Amino acid sequence: MGIVITVTSGKGGVGKSTTTANLAVGLANLGKKVVAIDFDIGLRNLDMILGLENRIVYDVVDVMEGRCNLAQALINDKKSKTLYFLPASQTKDKDILNKDKVKALIENLKESFDIVMIDSPAGIESGFEHSIFLADRALIVSTPDVSSVRDADRVIGIIDAKSERAKNGLEVEKHIIINRIKPEMVEAGNMLSVEDVLSILALPLIGIVPDDEDIITSTNTGSPIVNKDKSLSAEAYRNIARRILGEEVEFLDIRAKKGLMATLKGIFK
Amino acid sequence: MSFFDSFFGRNKPTADVAKNRLKIMLAHERASCKLPYMDDLRNDLIAVIRKYTKVEDVKITSQTNQNLELLEVEVILGK
Repeated sequence: MGIVITVTSGKGGVGKSTTTANLAVGLANLGKKVVAIDFDIGLRNLDMILGLENRIVYDVVDVMEGRCNLAQALINDKKSKTLYFLPASQTKDKDILNKDKVKALIENLKESFDIVMIDSPAGIESGFEHSIFLADRALIVSTPDVSSVRDADRVIGIIDAKSERAKNGLEVEKHIIINRIKPEMVEAGNMLSVEDVLSILALPLIGIVPDDEDIITSTNTGSPIVNKDKSLSAEAYRNIARRILGEEVEFLDIRAKKGLMATLKGIFK
Repeated sequence: MSFFDSFFGRNKPTADVAKNRLKIMLAHERASCKLPYMDDLRNDLIAVIRKYTKVEDVKITSQTNQNLELLEVEVILGK
């Protein structure tokens, strides 16, 4: 019986889909059988980040409505053989999901996969509620800026209220991923630090991903950065995947590399 | 602020400002959304009180005082 991990954030554009894609690939590369589901109905995106957009025939709504069976809709990644992907529907009716059908689908997937990874839509509407409904764990992605942290706090406050697990007296295990941190800005005191964000959100940290232009280029080509060898952000994702599986992995040192100007400035401090 | 920064007239670091603003904001927001049934309770109360009076608004605030949780309901009947 697999577990359900939902990636969520409240605010849009903080890197939920990128995080979902990289962690799904990372977990598959560790030998787990993973299915990544895009729950952002109407605004499909995870397909392009994973580089699987040309192979879509059916989507998650087709499965729930019985227009195809599950095996027909699941797309198997060619590089990471144990990774499967279930795309979001492009329908304009974003309220098309309903609790019973979501539950039937997820229960079904849990039987044949180790990890069911759900990419939640932004916001706190029905799409979010469906994506958190059956979660065993939640990964809350936040960038170190006030809007993102504020929305993350709000989402954290309602996760348990919307989860079936909480209704049964259990808790959804929640962890924070701090995304797009810029070490040189933190050092200059111009960006919230990891400690600042954690002191506000009061939840355990599972990963810090530095701001990295290579993530944009890897999205351009549809090849998740986690597969790249010499990359700090790829290393960060690989570490999060290992931590999800319960391994203790030290957090990366992402302090700013000091250039000549910074060294000069240091002298005058 | 370092000598270097002030020499070139740079601005003060802003992360602490962000942190404090967030803390104040969230302390306020958390207090009002801690109880998931707050909105429903408020609507039900208004419905009940409307049966008897012309109520204009019901304010509900929750407070945690040491180990006592307090729910304050303020009914504004109008002038």
